[in-house]
Amino acid sequence: MLRLEGVSKYYAAPDRAIAVLEDVTLSVDSGEFCALVGPSGSGKSTLLNLIGLLDQPSSGTLSIDGEMVGGCSAHESARLRNRLIGFVFQSFHLLPRLTAWQNVALPLQYRGVPRDRQREAAEAMLARVGLADRTGHLPGQLSGGQSQRVAIARALVGAPRLLLADEPTGSLDSNTARDVMALLAALNAELGVTIVMVTHDRDLAASCPRQIALRDGRVLGNGVGTC
Amino acid sequence: MLIALPGIHARLGDTLAEAWSNLRSQGRRSALALLGIMIGTASIIAMLNGGHMAQRESLKLFAKLGVDMLQVGAAPTGDRPALLSQAVIDALPRTDPDVVEAVPLAGGRAPARAGGKTVDLAILAAPPALATLANLRLASGRHPAAVEDCALSAVLGDAAARALSGPAAAIGPGSKVLIGSYGYTVVGVLAPLTPETLDPVDYNMAVLTPLGCAARIIPHGGPTGLLVRLRPGADTQAASERITARLTTPDAKLTVLDARSILRTMQEQKAVHSRMLTGIGAVSLLVGGIGVMNVMLMSVMERQREIGLRAATGATPTDIRLLFLVEAVLLTIAGGTIGSALGAAIAWAIAHSSGWDFDLAPWTLALGPAAAGGMGLVFGLYPAISASRLNPIEALRAD
Repeated sequence: MLRLEGVSKYYAAPDRAIAVLEDVTLSVDSGEFCALVGPSGSGKSTLLNLIGLLDQPSSGTLSIDGEMVGGCSAHESARLRNRLIGFVFQSFHLLPRLTAWQNVALPLQYRGVPRDRQREAAEAMLARVGLADRTGHLPGQLSGGQSQRVAIARALVGAPRLLLADEPTGSLDSNTARDVMALLAALNAELGVTIVMVTHDRDLAASCPRQIALRDGRVLGNGVGTC
Repeated sequence: MLIALPGIHARLGDTLAEAWSNLRSQGRRSALALLGIMIGTASIIAMLNGGHMAQRESLKLFAKLGVDMLQVGAAPTGDRPALLSQAVIDALPRTDPDVVEAVPLAGGRAPARAGGKTVDLAILAAPPALATLANLRLASGRHPAAVEDCALSAVLGDAAARALSGPAAAIGPGSKVLIGSYGYTVVGVLAPLTPETLDPVDYNMAVLTPLGCAARIIPHGGPTGLLVRLRPGADTQAASERITARLTTPDAKLTVLDARSILRTMQEQKAVHSRMLTGIGAVSLLVGGIGVMNVMLMSVMERQREIGLRAATGATPTDIRLLFLVEAVLLTIAGGTIGSALGAAIAWAIAHSSGWDFDLAPWTLALGPAAAGGMGLVFGLYPAISASRLNPIEALRAD
């Protein structure tokens, strides 16, 4: 469902181009739960940004669900992100002035869903992540684990095909991290949403059914199929 | 395009609600940015309403007579009396295309006596047409009829009648009054009148008599002035020149009071003040607009992570632009509304200190917020565009 072919990303330096990703070919099937691992500077975040349509590849093609999505305009990319992709970040990125349900409803807002239906859907998703009693709380009133659950609810409220998680447990203590991982695994199993998760943590990566390892901008081993 | 079409109603509603809550959370800074907008709107609203009230006040000076009116007066140039030809005056409506009506006037002063009281009164001798032309309303009695052209009938001004009344006998219709050495019968008393610019005398302290035999109580008895009603919208300047040319005699120097010219002079004097206030208002609005731009740019800087997150969840550059633009416009409309209220208060103070009736032109109250909102649109555009151009990845990484 996710396919990258010959994807490279270069950044222009004064005298030469620096390759961050080189000729990455990779495919992820629908419903897979992949860990993207590799040392700092290996290009994990860049790859995640490319898949998340927050950045454009210098060369190569990218398709999600058979749709060619690389090289779209900023406007088209935003529309595709809204429809196809949910993001979870290390630092949650909840908007401090919005309540939990309002944060969760953001993707629906940009889809033009009426306000009352937004609220319904957001509250249902908050209940699904175990926060039915926190819908009206502001982010400042939530613990780290609760915040990340709100962020996961936000990522999934629009029923995306793909969930991209960038160090989702990086700001949490180990117990909470385990809970959040369990939640992601459960949602992967129940909703069938494809998850690509960047992580440093070897144990966490090992708990994922599939691992994609990056080093110096290249995928180690065979990016196609299971490692 | 600023606004994306799909689901625009739901999204605009959300955008408005969010913009409002963002502004409230910025509180004091928003308020400071609005000072310039408030001062600008206030001075423009005060200026417009001040002008509006001044105009109403100056029109009041011509309420009875209207503005399509000339008053011609003749002053002697030598020893001979400055008499005007009544035949020429009577012929004016026929001979001049712009003249609707012309009423000859003769004036003088004489002592009036009744019941042992003597009062010095202005005498205005004129044909009965004056009553309708000058809109002279009666408190009691009637005006002399046309057939009484030489009768000893008089209409007294309100104050004149009261001055002649004694404790025993009030002067009113039917009373006898000795004017000069002639016994006149009072046929009517005028209602109190507010003196106006083009009144030939203060009607309140005057006695009005028919023109026919006015020579009995005023020297020479012939007309030394006239009131002319012109066709509405006539060129008063040209008409007054033609009339002067027709009436001119070697014995008289003619002076014409022209309602429109008087109004114009009054308005020109005010225009200087208006221009000054408009200038202050415009500069304040400009400074306020720059202040709003500054606040919005700071807000964009501080909210980079929010912008990045919104972009990640599917906000298009258009959505981001709209969010910041709506904030800027809401901010300035709020300032414009407060400014309008302030301006109305200043207008009230101007009216109060000038002794005018307070009256607001309703359209000016809508203009304040609208003009301020326009400033928000103009000065909010650059911050909004720079927000929409942020790279989402860098924005998410900002602290």
